Parts: sequence; C-alpha cells; structure tokens
Amino acid sequence: MAGREAVIEVNDLVRVYKTSSGFVRKKRKETVAVDHISFSVEQGELFGLLGPNGAGKTTTIKMLTTLLLPTSGSIKVLGYDIVKDSIEVRKRIGLILGGEKGLYYRITARQNLKYFADLYGVPLSTRDKRIREVLDLVGLQDRADERVEDFSRGMKQRLHIAKGIVHDPELIFMDEPSIGLDPQAARDTRRMIKDFISAGKTIMLTTHYMYEADELCDRIGVITKGKIVALDTPEVLKRLVRDTSVIEVEVFGLTEKLIEDTRRLPGVQAVSATMAEDKQVMRVQVTDPAEMLGKVVAILQDRKVIGVKVKEPTLEDAYLWLVEGDVET
Amino acid sequence: MAEYSSNPARVFFSSAVLAKRALFSWLRPEMWIMMLFFSSLFQIAFFVYVATYVNNPSISVAYVAVGNAMQSIALASVFAVCNITGEEKQQGTLEPILVSPGNRFSIFVGRAMFQVLNGLATVTIALFYAAVLFNVDFSRTDFLSLGAVAVVTAFAMTAFGLMLSSLGLYLRTSMVIANIFLFIGLLLCGVNFPVSYLPSYLQPISYAIPMTYATEAAREAVSGSSVLSIGGLLLAELVVGIAAILVGYAMFLWFERMSKKRGTMDRY
Amino acid sequence: MSRLRAVATAFRQQALIFWADPQWLIPNIIAPFVITLVALMLFKNVDGPVVLYAVLGGGMMGMWGNTLYSSGWSIQSDRWWGTLESNLVTPTPLIWIIAGRAIWNAWIGILNGVLILVFAEVVFQAPISLNDPVLFFLAFFLTLLSLSALGLLFSSAFVLTRAASVLTNGLEFPIYIGTGTMFPIALLPFWMNPLSLSLGPTWGIDAIRYSALGTTQFTFVEGYWGDLAIMILLSFVYLAVAVVLFGWLDRKVRRDASMGRF
Repeated sequence: MAGREAVIEVNDLVRVYKTSSGFVRKKRKETVAVDHISFSVEQGELFGLLGPNGAGKTTTIKMLTTLLLPTSGSIKVLGYDIVKDSIEVRKRIGLILGGEKGLYYRITARQNLKYFADLYGVPLSTRDKRIREVLDLVGLQDRADERVEDFSRGMKQRLHIAKGIVHDPELIFMDEPSIGLDPQAARDTRRMIKDFISAGKTIMLTTHYMYEADELCDRIGVITKGKIVALDTPEVLKRLVRDTSVIEVEVFGLTEKLIEDTRRLPGVQAVSATMAEDKQVMRVQVTDPAEMLGKVVAILQDRKVIGVKVKEPTLEDAYLWLVEGDVET
Repeated sequence: MAEYSSNPARVFFSSAVLAKRALFSWLRPEMWIMMLFFSSLFQIAFFVYVATYVNNPSISVAYVAVGNAMQSIALASVFAVCNITGEEKQQGTLEPILVSPGNRFSIFVGRAMFQVLNGLATVTIALFYAAVLFNVDFSRTDFLSLGAVAVVTAFAMTAFGLMLSSLGLYLRTSMVIANIFLFIGLLLCGVNFPVSYLPSYLQPISYAIPMTYATEAAREAVSGSSVLSIGGLLLAELVVGIAAILVGYAMFLWFERMSKKRGTMDRY
Repeated sequence: MSRLRAVATAFRQQALIFWADPQWLIPNIIAPFVITLVALMLFKNVDGPVVLYAVLGGGMMGMWGNTLYSSGWSIQSDRWWGTLESNLVTPTPLIWIIAGRAIWNAWIGILNGVLILVFAEVVFQAPISLNDPVLFFLAFFLTLLSLSALGLLFSSAFVLTRAASVLTNGLEFPIYIGTGTMFPIALLPFWMNPLSLSLGPTWGIDAIRYSALGTTQFTFVEGYWGDLAIMILLSFVYLAVAVVLFGWLDRKVRRDASMGRF
C-alpha cells in the first residue's frame, strides 16, 4: 500500500444546500449534505462510498467530478485542485451516473459516443476505432446504430459506461452503477468494473447495496447523514461484529418503544429493525446469546413472535448498525 | 396512491389545484405574473403599429387594439391548457390520471377552470392597456356587455383549448397544435381586419371559432351596445364553445383508448 | 483547435437532434407566415412594393423566432434529458458547445425565413425580384452570424432559469416590434430607439430591405454598408458579453447546484 500515490484527496469537505420554498412567505432552509468528510483513494484502488439514500454520496461524487463546488474544504484529484484546475481534472476522469438520464435518446448510440468523444478531445485519427472498441467492451456493437430510446435499461447502462470511458480516463467515478438493473445486468456491470481495475484504472463508486460494496471494493467508506462513520476494508468492517451474535426475531406488532426497551437491556450492543406491514424483524447484537435470548423474548411477550434465530453477523448487520448510529467504532 | 374519490366535484377541484400547481412547478409565480401582464401588451402593440403604418381608414387603431385584446384570452387559455397536457406527459403524471378511476369528465374540466380565470384576468389587463396605452375610447362602453363578452369568451376559448389538448394525448406534443391554432386565430377571427376581407372559402371556418363572435361583440360593447343587442353573438359563441367541449370529450375518450392500444402515452 | 472542433461537434449534434424531430420547426414557420398574411391583408390598399416588404418582414420574423426558440429550448431540453451534466463534466467549456448549436439554429432560421418567403410568394403569386441579389445574400448571411451571436447571448441568460420557455415566448413580439420587421422603427416612441438599434438584426433587416427593394424609402440613413458595419460591430459586443456571462454562469451553476433540477 505504501508508495502508491493518492489520486483522490478529500480534506474536511463540506457542502451545504440552501433552498427556499413558498411564494408569499419564503422559507429558507439550509441542509448540510456533506458534513466534514475526509478520505483519500490510491492509484489502482476500488473505493466504495456506501450509504443509504440521501446520505450525501451523490453530492460527494458531484464535487469530486467538478460538477459542484464545495462549501468548504479541499479536493485534489490526480494532483489537481477541482476548483482551480477543473478542466485538467475533467480531461482525466470519467463519470458514469446511474439512471435513465444523461444520453441523447433521439439519436443512435454511436452518435452519442462520437459527440462525447469529440468533446473530450479524443484524437480524430483514433476516435472511430476507439468507439468501436468501447462498444465491443460493453457488448453494444450490434446495436450501435439504433436510437437510444429503443434500448432497454441494461443497454442504456452499458452505453453510459461506454460514454464514461470513451476517452480512456485513468480515474473513473460511478454513481450507483447497478441501480435499477436486473441481476444479470448488474453482474455484467460488476464484471466490467473488475476488468477496469485489472487494466490499472482507479475507480470510486457509490452504492447502497452492501453486498456489492463487499464483493467489489478494496476499501469502503460508510456514509450516513453527510458523515463518514467508518472507513476501512470490508474485512475490518465485518470484524466490528466479530465476537458477537445476532438474535433475529420475526415478530408481529413491533413498536419503537419495544425496540428502545430492548436497546436498554444490559448486554445488548445494538438493535436494528426492519418494519414491514406484515411482519417486523428485529436484530439484536449481543455477546452472549444464551444469556440474552430469554430476556429479549420476554420483552416481546405481548406480541406475536413468529420466529427466533441466533446467527453470525454479516456485513449487512455491521452496515445497518453503522448507519443507524447504534454502534461505536 | 392517494385515496381517490368518485365525487365529481372533489375531483374537479383537485384537478384545478393540480393544474395550478403544475403551472407553477415549472413556472415561478413571478414569471406567471409577468406573462399575465406582458403577453397581451406586445401583441397589441405590434398590430397597432402596423395598423398605424398602414393607415387604412376602415381599420382603426381601436379596431385592432380591441381585437387583439380579446385574442389574448386565446393565448392564456388555449396555450396553457395544451401545455398542461404536454407537461403532464413530460412529468409523467399523465398515466396516473388516465388510469385513476376518478370521474374523467371532472378531471378534464377541472384542469381548465383555473385557465378560465387566467383568461379573464388576461383580457381585463389587455383591455386596460387598450384604453390607457393605445387611446381606445371607452367613454361610451357598456361595461356589462363587455364583461359578458369576456366571461363567455373565456369559457368558450378554454373549451376550445380542452378540445385541442385531447390531441396532445395522442401526439408527441400539443404545443405545435396550440401554436398553429393561436396564429390561425389571428388571421381568421376578425382580430385585425373584418372576416369579410378573407376569401369566401375560409369564412365558414371563422364562424366555427368562438373568438370570431367575441371580437365583434367586444367592439360592439365598447361602442355602447347593450347585452341584449349583442345577445345573438354571445349565444352563438356559447353554442360553439359547448360543441367544442363535447367534441373534445369524445376525442379525449377516443385518444385514451388509442393510446392504451398503442402505448404512446409515455413517449414525448 | 479543439475549440473549433467542439463548435463543429455541437453543430453536428444539433443537426442530428433537429432531424430526429423536425416538427419543432413548424411553430416557427406558422407564426411569421400567418402574421405576414395578416399584414398583407392590412396592406391591401397601400402603394409601393408592400408585398415584398411584408414578405421580407415575415422572413425576418422567422429567423428571429427560430433564434429565440432554439436558444430557449435547446438548453432546457438538455435539462429535461439530463444531458446537461454530461456536457458540463467534459473539458470543453459550455460556451463552445452552445456556440455550435447557435450557428446551426441560425442556419435553420435562414432556411425558415426562406421558406416563408417562398410560401408567401406562392400564395400571393408575386414574383420575387430582388434589386441586387448579391448584396441581398450577403446581408442575409451576415444577419445569420449576428443572430448566432445573439442566440449565444440569450442561451447564457436562459440556461439558469426555470422560465426559459416563458422568456422564449414572451420575447417574440417585443423583438418583432423593436427590430422593425413590419413597420419602420421611426413609429416607435423615441426611448425605444436605443433598444432597437442595439439589436444587430435591426440593421440587418434594413440592409436586406435596401438590397431587395432597391429604394431608400424604407431604410436608415447609414445606408447598406453602414448597416452591415454596425451589425458586425454589435455582434462582437454580443460575443464579448456572452463570454463574460458564460464564465459567470459556470461558477454560479456549480455553486448553487441549479442545473439538475430544471
């Protein structure tokens, strides 16, 4: 790890949004989307920013890719300051945003790629060849001359990727790369990401799928409500929950109060819950499941307990606890 | 999905509110006010200057000013109603509306209610301009008459707009339709010159558009005719307007069926 | 070198997008065409080359309308399609991209104007006899460039507002009035003259009229070459202002994050 240069250096980054709503009485609101975060990413690394929706991931990526100015703090990408040298940064990075937008639907895939290749200054002599290469890479060579509006979601995503790498950037940013994709397409995307890393690129992605972060990333930064609450390799993050067990209770009629009561039990490290209409699942992190099992069930005695399991914790548990603020790291 | 109501009145009013909000979601209220105050002003000014330049004794500045003032209702009502359908498509709210079990007629008409008021406000401001900026003589005006013309026309032209917005369900855009219609109105509705100037094969079309009656009635009212004496014109205008609503509703239903068959609803 | 390439790329892209949906041009042809017909009705009893006068005015309105309309909508379309960010993240400054589009739009505006001329001539069956075709086309061409520069300026003003479409529709008639498309600007109140004369195409249409009609009856005292010189000068002013505005806007957009939402 030592000796590899940092391609991204983020220092005490803050981004505040000011919004005003209403016509007669204007309400001004300030939202802190990114709240003093710092991290760095090394050359060749696959770094993931993991967090729930609204955590500040997309805002962070937009700042790193020069689309947004920070409110305070500094960002250096490939040695260039994103505020002062934004054009230098843009030449060397690729941005792949998830979702449907970002392509010109009424023209063909190839025409889209030509347009962006030109704007990125891909040399004219190699441009068309490069476009063919990139289309092959993402598997769109047969559909290159069809209008993008006729593409499926997965195909559009592949074209997004093609567009993001058409100028062969050394650093690639991906915002929620598998969102809205079917499992096959998501798997193909992850394979492509791994191929890019093998080819020597550096990638930073954001996601809210923890298994994706676990599978792909060298390091993960867990972000919630604008703050990074954990930053380490997946192994270390899983170790947060080593030596613990999870008592997983499926119950009907779970309330916030019951969750709070469970939290306050001595011997309980953390509690998280999933509340659905038909049943609720409460996960209680404890060091001694044998001792705690009876006590947890006792708290739920007035409710319909459908099932109880004692299990090993997963990265998902670590993530949920980090995100819900119940774990001290 | 919010609870739906089979109460037509409720659907009617919530459609009106939706229409108002839709208008504002992409248009800040300040901008709407600007449109309200300025759209008629420049159109009237343009034709007043052309008329001044031309100096035709049978087409006075007042003729042109009043004509264009009335025509401003078309701008507000027709254009905005058509836009709402175009916008709903863009914002993706059209599908939920078509699919919801609410009384469709109420939705259809509710959307337009706000536009009727918008049209009335616009024409009032336009007539004010005619009086104050373009020196049209309102000293003998029968204001009751004029008011009646404005109200009837606002409804009738909004009805026309609804009919056109039905086309928007089917085509990619209703804005093209709205634009075409607006400008044809300038030519055919006695706005800048009498309908008699037009070739005879075009004149019947003029009389199928409510605005043609409106411009004539408005000029009569300004020069002092009472509500009774322009009653015939107003009645004719109402009939044309109602016909438009019926035709529009029929088209709405037909296009809805066609859209479902062909799946064109979310293309834009 | 890459800047010119960006302009050419944006020109090509705008053309491709235009040909995918050419029906958007229809409003811009209909409006001036109908206004021309109305004017011709009004001009019925007037002497002189009024048909050509009105028809030229209509052509000019077509060119103007297209400039306004395209500047207003092209960036708004990018917003709707979500492609604005894709453009902003490239190392090409936005102004060069918009410049390429503005040139295409002005070019289509010329075509627009010519179509109106042709339609009106066909409808009224009056042959076009241009007094000096060479000067006429020169004036037309330079007016195209002036319109491009103005379109670039408008784009920078429209790019940030939610109300680009209101401005687009709202400026139509004021510009028809201010630039004297259908009547001499001498009829306008004196305080409007600076506004009129600061618009390059006002001078352009004057030069176009002179070269088409061959009389000085309708034209400014500066004469044909004076008109063109002033128009070119004004175009450079527009470009300078546009450069400043685009620079300011780029910073503002990144500060306020206002580009993603309309």
